[in-house]
Amino acid sequence: MLANRLTRGTLGAAMIAVALGTTSVVSQVSTAAAWSLEEAAAPYKGATIRTIGEALPPLEAMKKLAPEFEKRTGIKVEIEMYEHSEAVNKVMLDLNSRRGRYDFIIQPHRELGKFVTNGHLGSLEKYLDSAELRDPQFKPEDQLYPRLWKEISWYDGKVYGFPFTALSMYMWYRSDLLSDEKEKEGFKARYGYDLAPAQDWKQYRDIAEWFTRPDQRLYGTALQGKRHEALWYEWLNFLYSFGGDMLDTKSGSECGPVIVNSPQAIAATEYYKSLKAFSPPDTLNYFWDDVMALMQQGEVAQLIMWNDSTYAVAVDESASTVVGKMGFDIVPQGEGGKVAQVEGWSYLVPTSSKNKEAAYLFIQWMMDYDQQLNQHLNGGATARPDVYSSEEVQKLPYSRASMDSNAVARSKPTVPLSGEMTDILVRELSSYLADEKTAKEALDRSAQDISTLLGSCAPMKYPVE
Amino acid sequence: MNKSWKILAIGILACVLVIALTPYLWILLTSFKGRLDILSPDPRWFFTPTFSNYPEVFLGKDYLPLVLNSLIISISSTVLSIGIGVPAAYVFARTDFAGKEDLFFFFLTTRMAPPISIAVPLFMFFTALGLTDTIYAVVIAHTSFNLSLVVWMMRGFFAEIPREIDEAAMMDGRSKLGAFVRVVVPMAAPGMAATAVLCFILSWNEFLYAFILVAFEGRPLTVGIPGLITPHGTLWGQVAAVAVVATLPILVFTFLVQKHLVRGLTFGAVKG
Amino acid sequence: MNTVKQLSRGRFLLDRGASLPLLLPATLLVLVFLVGPFGYMAYTAMTDLSYANPDQNGAFIGLDNFRQLVRNDPVFWDSFWLTIRFVVASVTVEFALGFALAWLIWRFIERQRLLTTLLLVPMMLAPVAVGLIWRLLLQGDFGMVSYYLRAVGLLSQQSAVFSTPYLVMPTIIAIDVWQWTPFVTLIILAGLMSLPKAPFEAATMDGAGPWRQFIDIMLPLLRPIIALVLLLRGIDAFKEFDKVFILTGGGPGTVSELLSIYAYRVNFKNWNLGYGATVAFMVYLVVLILCSIFYKAVYWKSPVGKV
Repeated sequence: MLANRLTRGTLGAAMIAVALGTTSVVSQVSTAAAWSLEEAAAPYKGATIRTIGEALPPLEAMKKLAPEFEKRTGIKVEIEMYEHSEAVNKVMLDLNSRRGRYDFIIQPHRELGKFVTNGHLGSLEKYLDSAELRDPQFKPEDQLYPRLWKEISWYDGKVYGFPFTALSMYMWYRSDLLSDEKEKEGFKARYGYDLAPAQDWKQYRDIAEWFTRPDQRLYGTALQGKRHEALWYEWLNFLYSFGGDMLDTKSGSECGPVIVNSPQAIAATEYYKSLKAFSPPDTLNYFWDDVMALMQQGEVAQLIMWNDSTYAVAVDESASTVVGKMGFDIVPQGEGGKVAQVEGWSYLVPTSSKNKEAAYLFIQWMMDYDQQLNQHLNGGATARPDVYSSEEVQKLPYSRASMDSNAVARSKPTVPLSGEMTDILVRELSSYLADEKTAKEALDRSAQDISTLLGSCAPMKYPVE
Repeated sequence: MNKSWKILAIGILACVLVIALTPYLWILLTSFKGRLDILSPDPRWFFTPTFSNYPEVFLGKDYLPLVLNSLIISISSTVLSIGIGVPAAYVFARTDFAGKEDLFFFFLTTRMAPPISIAVPLFMFFTALGLTDTIYAVVIAHTSFNLSLVVWMMRGFFAEIPREIDEAAMMDGRSKLGAFVRVVVPMAAPGMAATAVLCFILSWNEFLYAFILVAFEGRPLTVGIPGLITPHGTLWGQVAAVAVVATLPILVFTFLVQKHLVRGLTFGAVKG
Repeated sequence: MNTVKQLSRGRFLLDRGASLPLLLPATLLVLVFLVGPFGYMAYTAMTDLSYANPDQNGAFIGLDNFRQLVRNDPVFWDSFWLTIRFVVASVTVEFALGFALAWLIWRFIERQRLLTTLLLVPMMLAPVAVGLIWRLLLQGDFGMVSYYLRAVGLLSQQSAVFSTPYLVMPTIIAIDVWQWTPFVTLIILAGLMSLPKAPFEAATMDGAGPWRQFIDIMLPLLRPIIALVLLLRGIDAFKEFDKVFILTGGGPGTVSELLSIYAYRVNFKNWNLGYGATVAFMVYLVVLILCSIFYKAVYWKSPVGKV
């Protein structure tokens, strides 16, 4: 550190004396406490780091926080915000051209395999091991949900990033409707048990059926049935909860037998479609945006949605008519027990980055408690349990559902060809919803196509004649 | 009898006009609605207007610079297309050389490939030249694509100017370039104006190349629109506000060059 | 004849020496910035390049992709035939309606400028905006057009256009018709305005009725323009992407998966660029054939189109 200052060669003797004095004072206290962001960032002062992510509230929150980092470090932060698929495509083009426009990137974790196996990402271990760069207070292994972190930001046993958002899906329901005395009475008379937030899929369907009243513009649920990734994400909740999966593997970076046409998967898929009867008529045209609008308009009794969208329906009165009338819980249980499907965006540092160290410092700073809390309260989804236990976060009506889901998050394939796997499944599931084929036909075809795609490492466990 | 036919015809055309314009009118109305009015299940033709969508998206979300970017990109590529395309068109109209018609046809074939398919090669190519993320990249791309239009349209306009005019100018002792600039160009000016406006519209409306080639800070309006569709609920009022601003100059220009539009849209094959 | 002679004597404004510098910039620009990337695409089509799969690193594989596409890719062929059906249906309807409107305007309206300008609004909007506008209008719960379709009984209360598979393509065609019929109208109208009067006067003298005049005189005279309109629309319809991408993404199932949507998925979702380039190349070939017909039919043989 001292050597560093001296070699800059611009300091006068008096300045050196002051610097020496400061260092000696600090070193007396303790070596661990000597780390400060300002000093760690000094070599990178004047640098500009650029990043890219999806145009959503947590990124907007980050943009508002960045000036403080800039003031403390003299490192300028530029943030580019694009629509979901635009943000992903821009990064793919940048990484593959190796021109290094982005010093770090914020990307969904399903992209990890593509990035890592093609050599676009470097492991962050060396920064975590670096005494100059690593803040001794930053202990991700203790401070983050370990499973979430491993799922979202690790690949093949190596760490590549830190969670920007830890997204999961859980059940949203109208607590005012479910606790209405008249509804409770009628429901019990009809179904023989008490009306309460669904614990299993039978209850979920009963509630959906009970509240489907098109003449009152109320529907039991709303499926995200458009041919779009949203359909796949939603279906995963059903698949996992029914005890099914896509590949028979332990982690997302492994290839393994294809089990997407297992009996459990077929049951989950058939159940999923059965809910179409209790969805609004345009349900095959919905993705997240539409069901969000319906929920805000108070036209749906319960559905399964993203945690980072919760804020706009449960808190934001300018957009929602159901503030104060919402309840949240983990998705109902099936054979697969308590599960949640998790997705997340990560801070990653590309190998083509021109300011890797400065980027690491910014990411590390963003992972601090204060920044995480700020981001979370502005519509983000942190991966730090201590943020969840803060008083302000506890007051949010969806915090418990978020925490429960985070605790039981399931991994999903992040292998290089997982994008094409998703594309196959979206096509086949959409065909099934549109009555072009049966669930078995759709999943058999998916299994065949995925097995062909992944090759010899992915035989079909349930062969098709 | 004839009169009642005429009334019927006017009636039909009026209906067609309503169908053609209502969607745009609806977007205009939507840009002045609050979220709850937009999401109302029964269409609201009358509502308390809000003027907040425009400032929210253009100032709050910093979309104002995107208007400027759109203008810079469209105007530069138009100027370049005209500057480079007009002389070429003049050559096609005035000389004969082996392979002329083939070269002329070649210009047209550049418009055949679906943009979606050439997008990745285009990006890699411009990256190799070190041009991606600069405004030059998209200006060059739009210019190249609009050249075929300029060459095809302007050849027709030049063909209408009698060759004797060129000749007379030469007789006056002007230089070749002088004759072209001072005599021929002014005569072709109305056609050039129409061509320029069409180039402007095509560049202004273009999405894919602009998305791929331009840096974030240089992106035009069309590239900014999808960013308003989010899992947190699409802000349709803001989408509509951007759409209205993005189409207004086009509507004005369409009206201005309506006379020459036919020729432009048919690559000069039909004289409007 | 006179001008040709002058040209050969070299007294004309442009000689060979002067032509080259005028022609060169345009030709070079197109060669470098369009043919360059296109050549790169054509080469990519003969490799296994993928940005997703690290095992496919761009090795040269000759025509394997083309073989796979032609023999082994039912998804491509489904999309191909769907695209053909889309092109035929939308262009036919646009032509019939556009012709009828042009005739009405030509026959009954004297001051046409404002009317035709207003009619042009749909086709002048940015394609991205058109897709979004119709997404809003046809949304099943709060879409204005959906509401009125239900109110007049064209759509049942319990359905919505984009959630009813058999209504999806007709709806997309209808939107295309909304957007592009004015194009047909405008051009046919220009053709009608330029018709000579003499043949019709002569036919009237001979006692031919309006229908015979339409069949025997008007249609043959308009033939080049009709061919032009059909082909220009055909080429554009073949490339249709923006509206369908925003409205349905190719679904539900595969009912609206046009070739351009398929090409998008292969290139931008699966990043299988070698194969994606092959799909793109095939699309280009089809359009090139259409274009060649257009050029031969319209520019070389027709008195109207000759420039």
